[in-house]
Amino acid sequence: MNDGRYIDTSIATLEGEASHQTPPKQEAKIQPVPSAPPGPVPTYYDKPAIKPPVWIWSIPAYFFVGGVAGASMTLGLAVQLFGGKRLRRFDERCRWIGAVGGGVGTALLIHDLGRKTRFLFMLRVFRPTSPMSIGSWVLALATPLSAGSALLTLSRGWLYDAGYAAGMAAGFLGMPLATYTAVLISNTTVPVWKGSRRTLPLLFGASSAASLGSVLDLMPLRDRERAIARRFGIAGRIAELAAARAVEREASAIPRVGKPLHEGATGALWKAATVFTGASLAAATLLPRRRILAGALGLLGGACVRFAIFYAGKRSALDPQATFLQ
Amino acid sequence: MPTGFFTTVCIGCKVCEVACKQWNQLPDDGFTFTGMSYDNSVDLGASTWRHVEFVERPVPLSGQTGGNFSWLMLSDVCKHCQRAGCLENCPTGAIIRTEFDSVYVQPDVCNGCGYCVVGCPFGVIDRLESDGRAWKCTLCYDRQKDQMEPACAKACPTDSILFGEVAELRAKAGERLEQLHARGVKEAYLYGADAAGQPGTGGLNAFFLLVDRPEVYNLPPDPVAPAKYVKESWASLAMASAGLLLAAIGAVWSART
Repeated sequence: MNDGRYIDTSIATLEGEASHQTPPKQEAKIQPVPSAPPGPVPTYYDKPAIKPPVWIWSIPAYFFVGGVAGASMTLGLAVQLFGGKRLRRFDERCRWIGAVGGGVGTALLIHDLGRKTRFLFMLRVFRPTSPMSIGSWVLALATPLSAGSALLTLSRGWLYDAGYAAGMAAGFLGMPLATYTAVLISNTTVPVWKGSRRTLPLLFGASSAASLGSVLDLMPLRDRERAIARRFGIAGRIAELAAARAVEREASAIPRVGKPLHEGATGALWKAATVFTGASLAAATLLPRRRILAGALGLLGGACVRFAIFYAGKRSALDPQATFLQ
Repeated sequence: MPTGFFTTVCIGCKVCEVACKQWNQLPDDGFTFTGMSYDNSVDLGASTWRHVEFVERPVPLSGQTGGNFSWLMLSDVCKHCQRAGCLENCPTGAIIRTEFDSVYVQPDVCNGCGYCVVGCPFGVIDRLESDGRAWKCTLCYDRQKDQMEPACAKACPTDSILFGEVAELRAKAGERLEQLHARGVKEAYLYGADAAGQPGTGGLNAFFLLVDRPEVYNLPPDPVAPAKYVKESWASLAMASAGLLLAAIGAVWSART
């Protein structure tokens, strides 16, 4: 007999103090808190379905610095191939930016490691399924090659030839160095990164070019060097603005996934990136004498792009709806 | 020897959580009250390798008599995917596939890069802040070495957690599914039992019998190891690289004297 007491009257009697009570209506009393609220996509108490990235600020900082370094090695290659003898000094400068950027980038990456002393384990294996493994090898090869080429091309004979070859190699490695970080973060389950995987490498490549242009804007250069830096920087800034729109569109194909690029602090950072890069482009094209202004704005824009994408990813990982809809 | 679990008749006793903590000597999760039904461990993590979920639904289960309410319990764990996102992402080779076909993190190799954390489609593996390395369920590698079943499966009082050859478990799960369907629980289905049902992971060594949408259990409806969809990103990288080189050559060329 189901009267709420669950007593089998064939083996027990109902003689207790309150055995006369009429059982309360059970159904009415149950007011469950649904752990899976009704809606298009249920969740488990709105808890994240995936783990957010554990990475800290030094990772987007590396995206920025490594991007500049990679673009610089690539520009160095173009100068080496088509620049002639008069641009040798500029070539050397490009390689130094590449080497220093690679070195600083390595330090930033090690800073984020859980076990910093084991940083060399990154080169313990080569794993083609892991963009981080590929990227580690690219960074570890490109940085010394870039430094070596800058040093060796000062000398003559076979040492110069070795430096020339190293510069070529660094130049070709610089291209993936500037862009692999986009593949690295696309190769995750983080909704906004995964959702913009087709366009993110274009944005990172363009942003690297724009940021290198801005770095060169801040340096004293000769006329012809200045012309190269300016053209490269302007092309980079235009491409950065266009690629940012493409990323935003791809990520927002599922509105919930693209949400962190439109709302909150990350949305503001993303908008700031466009404003800074746009202003930098205007300054670079319309006010050729205000190169410091153009450079500073360009660097701000480039940094905002990397940090906005990074923190948007951290936020989107916390949204189970975005994870499930992806 | 492939090995795995599957979960069907969980009663939410949490003895698997306790057995896991005791055997592996994991620290506690803090004695906090979440208000999420009986779930106070919230999620899987670096020091929580078993997690019992309590789903409260304002709808009855098919065939249930009385009550507009049903309670679903699921003991969540690392799935030891056939295509493991964490393993494919690991740049140091710390994460390996063992002779028992389980996925194992070697603590003496892991350098705490954190890339496995974002590679897992289920949010299982995490980096332990105090220690800097990534941790997750080992499928009791040490016990298996001594021909013992994992601690959670050993402790489970309802045999909800079964351990054995994956092929045998699949067969058992199929039988159980038929029983449930015959009993009128038509919504029952297997989650991740094989590659055909879940191509993104190539099938799970720890698969589940569920009676509601996967999202209700905090499981993604279509989990995919990231390396499967990142090819498009590599193609984009090739384009971006070419663009970078062309822009550089263009800038140098156009500024020639």
